[in-house]
Order: sequence, then C-alpha cells, then structure tokens
Amino acid sequence: MRHALRVVAAEALKQHRRLFGQPLVVFSMLIWPVLTLAVTYYTVLPVTGAPAAGARWAVAGDPRRLLAFLAAGALAYTFFFSLVQSAWHFSFERVSGTLEAVFLSPASRLALVVGNGAGALVQNAWLFGCFAVAAASAADLLRVAHPGMYVVAFVALLVPAVAWGAFLNSLLIFSRDSAFLYTLLDDPLWFVAGVRLPLFALPVWVKAVGLAFPLTSSLVVLRGSLLDGARVAELAAPLAWLAALTVGLFAAAAGLLRWGEARAARTGSLQLF
Amino acid sequence: MSTGIVTTALCKVFPPRRTPWSWRARGTPVAAVSGLSIAIPAGQVTGLLGLNGAGKTTTIRMLSTLLRPTSGTATVDGLDVVADARAVRRRINVIAGGERMVYSRLTGRENLWYFGQLYDVPRARLRRRVGELLELVGLAAAADTPVERYSRGMRQRLVIARGLVNDPAYLLLDEPTLGLDAPIARELRLLVARLAADGVGVLLTSHYLAEVEQLCRHVHVLDGGRLVAQGSPAQLVAQTDRQHVLVVTVGGSVPAAVEAVRAVSRDTGARLDVDVDEAGRDRLTLRHRDDLAGPVVDAVVRAGGSIVTVAVTPPTLEDAILAMSRATPAGVR
Amino acid sequence: MAAVWPTFVRNWRVTLRAYPWTYFVGTLATGLLTVGVALLAYRAIGGGRVAASFTAATGGSDYLGYVTVGAAALTFTTRMVLWVAKAQITEYREGTLESQLLTPARRLPYLLGVTLQALTTTVVEVAVLLAAAVALGVRLSVPDPLALVAALAAATVAVLGMSVPLSAVMLAAGEAHITQNTLFTAMALLCGFTFPTGYLPDAARWLGEALPVTWALRVLRAATLPGASVDVPSALAVCLALGAAYLAVGLWILPPAERRALQRSGNA
Repeated sequence: MRHALRVVAAEALKQHRRLFGQPLVVFSMLIWPVLTLAVTYYTVLPVTGAPAAGARWAVAGDPRRLLAFLAAGALAYTFFFSLVQSAWHFSFERVSGTLEAVFLSPASRLALVVGNGAGALVQNAWLFGCFAVAAASAADLLRVAHPGMYVVAFVALLVPAVAWGAFLNSLLIFSRDSAFLYTLLDDPLWFVAGVRLPLFALPVWVKAVGLAFPLTSSLVVLRGSLLDGARVAELAAPLAWLAALTVGLFAAAAGLLRWGEARAARTGSLQLF
Repeated sequence: MSTGIVTTALCKVFPPRRTPWSWRARGTPVAAVSGLSIAIPAGQVTGLLGLNGAGKTTTIRMLSTLLRPTSGTATVDGLDVVADARAVRRRINVIAGGERMVYSRLTGRENLWYFGQLYDVPRARLRRRVGELLELVGLAAAADTPVERYSRGMRQRLVIARGLVNDPAYLLLDEPTLGLDAPIARELRLLVARLAADGVGVLLTSHYLAEVEQLCRHVHVLDGGRLVAQGSPAQLVAQTDRQHVLVVTVGGSVPAAVEAVRAVSRDTGARLDVDVDEAGRDRLTLRHRDDLAGPVVDAVVRAGGSIVTVAVTPPTLEDAILAMSRATPAGVR
Repeated sequence: MAAVWPTFVRNWRVTLRAYPWTYFVGTLATGLLTVGVALLAYRAIGGGRVAASFTAATGGSDYLGYVTVGAAALTFTTRMVLWVAKAQITEYREGTLESQLLTPARRLPYLLGVTLQALTTTVVEVAVLLAAAVALGVRLSVPDPLALVAALAAATVAVLGMSVPLSAVMLAAGEAHITQNTLFTAMALLCGFTFPTGYLPDAARWLGEALPVTWALRVLRAATLPGASVDVPSALAVCLALGAAYLAVGLWILPPAERRALQRSGNA
C-alpha cells in the first residue's frame, strides 16, 4: 500500500510536470469552453425566451439562471474532459517507449493510472478558482442549503472523476486508435450527460446512455447542491449511483489493466483492440 | 535456491494477429524462441548473439517479465518470471539502445526520481542514488535541465542511468550501444565491466561483436530462436573452423622460395594462392586453421628469398557467428 | 495556374487512400449534436415556439431550419479550413514543404487546387449532415437555387481568404491544433451560425462583421430562409471584398512564414 501511494504521488507529479504550463491547457480548459458556453447560451436563448417556456422549465424564465445552469455544465464537462485529454496523452507513452519502461518496474499498474488521473485533476484546480470567482460575482444565483453542500458537490465531482480517469487511462493505453475514442468521448459525452440541456428534455434512451457516464450524475449533484439548494437527502439517489459507478469504474480499470498486460505478455503487442 | 538467471527449455510462440472486428486470426503462429536453456551467472557478462530475428530481444523481454513464455521456465535467483514477476522486476533492469524510455518534458533528475519511486527505492537512498547516477553518467551539471534540451548523447546517458536506478542485481542490455556516440559507447563498456566486477550479472546482446569479445566471459549463440553454440569467445572461434589468412610478399624473383612455400602448404594442407602484386613481386596467400607465419617465413628465408611484407588476419567472433548462422539449415527457422 | 490541377489530383489520391475518418466523425458529430440540442430544446422547453426577439431578428420563426443550416455552414467552414489552412503545415510535418517550395509554382494556384479538392469532399460531408438532420425530423425549406450557388461561391471565397493567413500563422507558430480550434470556437460565436448576431454584445458583433464568413452566411440565409431580410448583392459584395483582402494579406505574409518554418526545421 505504501509503495502504491508513492507510485500515485510520483505519477501525479510527473503528469503535472509534463503538462502544466502548456498553452494547450489554458486554451482547452478555459478559452474554448468559455467561447462554447457563450455559443450554447445564445443558441438556446430563442427557445428559452419562447412564450410559457418558464412554465416548462423554471430556469428558462431568467437568462442569468440559464447562464449559471449552462456554466455549471461547462465546468463539470471540462473537468471530466480534461481526463479524456490526459488519458490521450498517456496513450502516447506507448509510442514513445516510456510505457514499456514503466511496465518494467514493479509499480502497481492501477496506482499508475489513478495517479495519472489525479495529476490531471490537481492541475485543473485553477479551473475551480476561475469558477469560484465567477460564482462570487453572481452570488445571488447560488442557492446552497448548507455550507456542507459545497463539500458534497466537490467530492461528487472529484472522486468519480478520478475513477473515470483511471478507467480511461486503462482503456486508451491498450487501444489501437486512441484518436477515435477521443473523438467519441468529446461531443457525444456532453450530449448524453445533460451538459447543455436539462435532463427532462432528453429522450429516455439518451438518458439511459447518459447514466453510464459519471459526469451525468456528478452534474445533477453539482447543480442540485449549488443552484437549487438541494439537501443530501434529496440527492441520495444520484449520490448512491455515483458511488456504484465509481466502484465499477475502478474495477473495470483494474480488469482492463490485468487483461491488457497479460495479453501484451502473450502477443508482444500492447494493443487490446 | 539457485542463483543467477536460469532458463529451462524456454519457448515463445507469438499467436497470429487478430483484427478488432474479426476474431479470425491472420497468418500463422511464429516461434521466436525454441527450447532455450541458458544460465546467466552473477558477477560476469554473458553474451547473447545471433543474427537479426534470432530471438535475442524476445528472450530479454521474457526475462524482464514483459513477455510471458509459452512454455519452459525462467528464474531469477530462483524467482519465477511469471509467478513472482513483481519480485523479479525489483531485481532486474533493462537498458536498450537509443533515446527512448525517458520523459522529455522532465529534467534528468526528475526522470530518475520518478522511476526510483516506481521501483520503491527507499526515500533517503533514492536522493543519494539519483545524485550518484547523474554523476556517473556525467549529467550532474545538466541534472535540472529538461531532457528536451539535452543533446542526443546526453539523452542516451540518461537512458543508461535509468537502467541502474534500482541497483539491479541483473542487468539486461539489448543492443545498448546501438546508435550510441562512440565515446559514450566506450564509457558504457567500461561501466558494464565494472558492474560485473562488483557482482552484477549482465546479459549483453549486441551487433558489435568486438564489444562482445571484449566483455563477455561466456557467449550463447542463437539462430532462428534456437541455441546453436555456446562457450567463451575463443572457444567459439575455434569451434567454427575459421581460418587464419596469411599474406606474404617475397622480394626479387626467387622461384625456390615459392616452391618452399608450396611444400609447406602440401604438408599442412593449407590452401595456397600465388599471384603478383603491383610492384611485380610474388604474393603468396595461405589459408589455414593455424597461424602459419612462422614456418612460411622460415621456409622462404631458407630458400634464399627475402620477405617484403607479412600480414596475418586471425578469424574473429564475427566470422564465427556468420559461419554458424549459415551452417543452420533454413528450414529450422 | 498550372499547379491547380496536379494539386487537385494529388489530394484526391491521398483522400481516397487514407480518408481521415476520425476528423469526419468528429465534425459530423459536432454539427449533428448542435441540431439535436436545438431540436430537443425547441420541443421540450420552447413547446414548439420561439421568442419574439428571434422572429424580429430573422424575419421568420423557423428556428430548427435556422440552426440546421447554420450547423451545416459551420461544418462546411471547419472542414474547408482544416483542409486548406492545414495543407501547408501538413506538408511541413511530412517534410514535403521544402520540395514544394523548390518548384517554381506559385502559392495561389497550389492553394486553389487544395480548395477545389476540399470542396468536392466537403459538399458530400455536408450533404450527409443535412440528410441526417432531416432524418431526425428537421424540415428544411427548398432553397432558391441561384442564391444557393451564389452563397456557396461566397462561402468558398470567404473560407479561402481566411485560411491563407491562418496557414501562415500555423507555419510561423509551428502549431495547428490551438490555432484551428480557437478559430473554430471564435467563429461559432462571432459569425452567427446558430443564432442571430444581434444577440451579441456590440464589440463582439463588430468583430464578427469583419469576418467574410459572416457575410457569406447572410447570403446563405437569404437562399434558405423564407422571409429573411437580406440585401443579397451588397452582402455578396462585402463578402468577396473581405475575402479578397484576407487572401491578399495571407499571400503577403505567407513567404516569411514559410522561411521561418524552414529555418526551424533546419535547426532541429
């Protein structure tokens, strides 16, 4: 266990040193999401301003609340997508030869992928800073039942994200065409997770697909606790589902790593699919 | 418990490749290593030779736990490379030629620190060890510079340091000097000899047979995945019946001298070729297992001839390896 | 102009041999999901109606048609820019830029060849997107064919004009990913692909007016949106003028950018 913790810390720090300060991080984490947020906001404005839209969706009646709703979605999405991005970078280690050097060591593979995901999250702490500033400037929009709900929202975003990162890392290490998975997890992810629309507007089958992604439930908790003044009891169902998903993702990551490494040892190729 | 690395009837057959959309395999299985039984003792350098595709890299990858043998066993100090993979990983490390295996955005020190953590080198020792290694490979001054600003030679030195970060009891060198700048290759050879003297067991594969001749006490020769010969470099050369080539140029035109050499060639069974050099002097070329310079020079002088030049080319390990590979029928692969 | 045809043929061969499916799926997904969001929001939140501000700005209430045409235009623009603006940096990365520059061919014919080839594949891709949108339930009005052709020509000039300076920036910076995505997201906001530019704050609106694509979009709206109040001839004129100006600037800054790129690869 002690060794595993050292591996997590070392991998997180390595990840930080490799990516931090790259202009790409600022662009892909802040500038593009903010521009896209504005596009989304203006695109749905004609609809939310329709007669009686406020009756169907309370948020629609107030453009500022709509913006807060979409901004929360953008934050959570960017946060989760940063893990897709870091997994994509991790998959390059197979090409550059460092993955083999890592696999030569006795380090726990699960600790490595967890550390890599955690590293990506630590780097994005500044993103929360930006969000906090934005939220403070529109404090009247926040509706929080209890100060502890900030912690609930943060944990509901952070812990599933680490599991999601570990799972993606394991998946992309062994995939032949990581660019394709990257594309697949970009736009479709925000669509099914209700990032730009309230969940009730989505067809049932989209909602069902969305449930498989932790982002969906993390976002329900985030919006519920920060924008709708929900209490833990009201969010019990998404929280429980998030816990189950987290465990499932860790288990899947461990399984993929075991399967992938065993296959690599048999075939000499680090490609699972 | 046996010490050293020991392989018994080690085999590796690569399954045919499958595409993700079809489970039907394409091609046929490829046997990369077949029935290999070798020993790599501690405290000396053991060579593993062969032509390209002989199974050297596959063997190293099995010993370093990256590949799982199809059959047979390999143990490191009695620990099985499959069952006790993690314990084996602590004891060994690999250095491959080239500049891969390090992170270019990290500094040299950060790279070594990172890999040291993965190898669970105790904290206090790791700091000292990283300093020592940077000193050893001559990167102390560039320790805190990102690797992307290193020259090629500096990267190669860092790759070598990475391979030593866990104080491996066994070091597997896969073409370590491939593409290395000449001075670094020389330093690496010195380092390898010193590590072996300090008790590290080293397995060396290399295309540079002079390097193997210089460093290895014992050499295994692979061809088509099978062990075809083993022994000290000198024994291997002797085994393959390679010949010394002796070239003697005789001054003046002394037919008796040429006749005398003919007699030596008849007596010893050496092959003799006679021709004339650019200056019109008789040039005699003899090929024989032994170095015949002594008797030939003696015979020429006795017959009244004068020696202008004598050159003997002894057979090298390279000749021996080439001869062994050729001797193996192609069907065995 | 001799370089137009061989460049066209070469790029067709490359496309046929290694079609960049990942990019295609990515851009198609972006366009289609934009339409999807509009569709769902229109039904579930708007109840099939739109705000008065939208009707006032566009001269109609066909929100879905408006967003779908915009998403198709955005797909067209992104794909064309990916082809044209990235043509030279791709050559640079593959090491063929040098052999390209060694020839006596001029830049403009080369870029025209790339543009024409890009046009053939992009039109097919946009058609796929529109067909998918129709399959999702969007109803599109039949466009005025003459205005549509005018819009397509205007859009091509606009895209070529913007791509050439962008190509210079990419070559000079030795980077494409950040440059291209920043342009795409900025264009999506400023040009009014999926919403009327009147919604934007004034400063952003003026920035948008300076982009030829914004004017090409107006011509496209006139062709596809019944009731749109657009002065087609003047929009077309502004679009062509802006496109030509961008193109001129691009051709002017391209040679120093190429020299800089070659210098960098010489040092590496």
